[in-house]
Amino acid sequence: MTQQTDILIIGSGVAAAAIAQKILNANPLAKITMLEAGTKVKMRDFALHQNYLITGQLPYEFCQDQAYPTKDSIGENESLGPTLIPMQGSRLMMYGGSTVHWGGWSFRLKPEDFKLKTLAKSGIKALKGDYDLLDWPINYDDLEPFYCEAEHYIGVSGDSADPTVPRSTAYPYPEFPYTLEDKPSILAMKKLGIEYSHMPIARHGVSASDSPHPPCQTTGTCKYCPFGARYVAANYIDELTEFHNYPNFHLKTNAIVESLIMSDKHQVQGVTYIDKHISEHQIQTLNAKLVILAAGAIESSKLLLRSQSDHWPNGVGNDQDLVGRNLITHPYLMFEADLPDNPDGLMPEMDFPTLVSRHFDSEAEQALGKYIIVNPSASIGTRLANEMQSGKPFSVIKDEVTGKSKIQLHVLLEIFSQNRNRLFNATKRNHLGLTETAIEFDQGPDFNQRLAQIQQNMTRIFEAMGAKDTRLKTISWRADHAACTTRMSEDKYTGVVDKNLKVFDINNLFICSNASFSSLGAVNPTLTLTSLAIRLAMHLNQTVIPELEHAEQQTPSLQEEIS
Amino acid sequence: MENSTRCHVETPHPYLDNDLKIDSYTFKYMCKLFEQIAQYWQLEMPSVGQESQLLVFIQNRIKLDLNYYIEYKNAVHVIKELCAVHGDPQGYIQLLTDPSGLITPATTPIARARQKVSNEFITLALAIGGFKTFGAKNALGYISGGNIENNVPYRVFKDV
Repeated sequence: MTQQTDILIIGSGVAAAAIAQKILNANPLAKITMLEAGTKVKMRDFALHQNYLITGQLPYEFCQDQAYPTKDSIGENESLGPTLIPMQGSRLMMYGGSTVHWGGWSFRLKPEDFKLKTLAKSGIKALKGDYDLLDWPINYDDLEPFYCEAEHYIGVSGDSADPTVPRSTAYPYPEFPYTLEDKPSILAMKKLGIEYSHMPIARHGVSASDSPHPPCQTTGTCKYCPFGARYVAANYIDELTEFHNYPNFHLKTNAIVESLIMSDKHQVQGVTYIDKHISEHQIQTLNAKLVILAAGAIESSKLLLRSQSDHWPNGVGNDQDLVGRNLITHPYLMFEADLPDNPDGLMPEMDFPTLVSRHFDSEAEQALGKYIIVNPSASIGTRLANEMQSGKPFSVIKDEVTGKSKIQLHVLLEIFSQNRNRLFNATKRNHLGLTETAIEFDQGPDFNQRLAQIQQNMTRIFEAMGAKDTRLKTISWRADHAACTTRMSEDKYTGVVDKNLKVFDINNLFICSNASFSSLGAVNPTLTLTSLAIRLAMHLNQTVIPELEHAEQQTPSLQEEIS
Repeated sequence: MENSTRCHVETPHPYLDNDLKIDSYTFKYMCKLFEQIAQYWQLEMPSVGQESQLLVFIQNRIKLDLNYYIEYKNAVHVIKELCAVHGDPQGYIQLLTDPSGLITPATTPIARARQKVSNEFITLALAIGGFKTFGAKNALGYISGGNIENNVPYRVFKDV
């Protein structure tokens, strides 16, 4: 059975939600279909919230990838290179996408991030690795107005006077003040001359607006907010479907897109997909005038690769063998040290951080790999519930609260694209019916040296707090911020999409995901992705959709031809 | 909403509404267990509404997992047995502190009562304000309020 829509959006995360919202704002009658492979999970439910509080179990855990196969478990996906990139926990395949579990850290890239290749060119020669760097085909100033709009769209609370990056519009909500837990880090950074600032965070603040999204109540259970105060695309798409009159906006869950259908080399005709509500195997066809891939870096790239035809024998957009390559993510480093005492009785009061240092996220560090330091929300102190549940008496716990304590700081590090690091379709299907992912990744020859440099700086900070025995507790290479697998570039020989996110040589196919980043910088990508989505939607509204409508008016319809 | 069609609503949970309610006999014991938690650890609990918070919590647990109906019944049996041996309220304290309640997996009645009931009540007691005893202004699970100038809902560090 063949169906028809005007605009097809694949995925239902922040990019999909922002694009749909912006197009519908401009034309409430726009005919948009959104296909989501995963299912819906109830949001803003107090019983589920309490279950999470008590057990730590999230109601959407089944939407994660399973762990890699082992000798004793079937598992999912394939890790082929020397560096393991865990998939489990890195993303959610569900209605709302990974915004359902994200932390809400809402950074802008810095102006120099858009010129990585140019600025790091000489410094990078001193490194041993074979890196494939790109400049973005747009610059910070091009994106700045969209950053402003994105901050308002996802509801960021931040410090509008923070000079870390230039801004033309204030944040919609004021910053969350530093918690008392930030005190040791702030005093240490001050002593060492390390800059720090308030964490910009996607939590709605108190306002007089008529927004249906309530303000953060600091419940400390952000992974499942009972109010919906943290941006979650599922809540925003609910708003589109339930509270607005958009008669031609449709969403299908449990719809697994199998392949793009090309009518010729330059035109997507539509997609084939499986509607699990109908059948696990029966292929459906949905034709569309415009197709937007907003299914995350991993699935967007894999869909291109498996869409092979005579027009694109290596997969759509992949004549240069670039799709899926240059994969990067952020290594997440957790450092820990021991404080002799905790006189303020610091303990976790919030579930999101309020302090970040972008001191080493600077042009001076760019050729080595920029990084940010975050004081995590549970950096220090006693876990009261654990102590009480173990049966310890009041007097013992009271002493523990102000006694010696571990303290942590976390680091997010930029690494550089290498052409050989890639992802592609594995052969099996995962538990949701999507084709599994194979990842081939090597951290490269320079990583350990950079890690040692960072550890030296972390030791200085911990020592300035009076903490001893600085150690690297864990490194996570998890694919949370997987990016750069369909990079935005000036030409088709170095990238897959152009500056408007259009796939080179195809007139009506756009990719709006972290895959299209030319580089990743040192910060969480979601705000930049949202900015790109809003920018793309504006481009579609102003240029692409009017051109399509004009072309249709010039072409006699089939009905007219028949008559 | 009884007449609405629900069989196609996407949910990973078979979600009971309020079909099965805890009985007053069991709830009486659960309330006393909750009180003993507050007393033993000297928790600063809200002066009103404790019982209703506990009732909502218990009903929510049963709503998501029917087995909790049995867990609360089991906890009553365990408490009565411990009180028969150690006296009342010492039997309650025994449940909260006896290391035999910590064995995993929880294969004995006392371990189930500890891990599925009293330990969960501890988390709830902290989340509704009990943590304040230990000096904090906010804690995980506590609905502390919005970010309002001069009335920030957690302890802050004034950066000068």
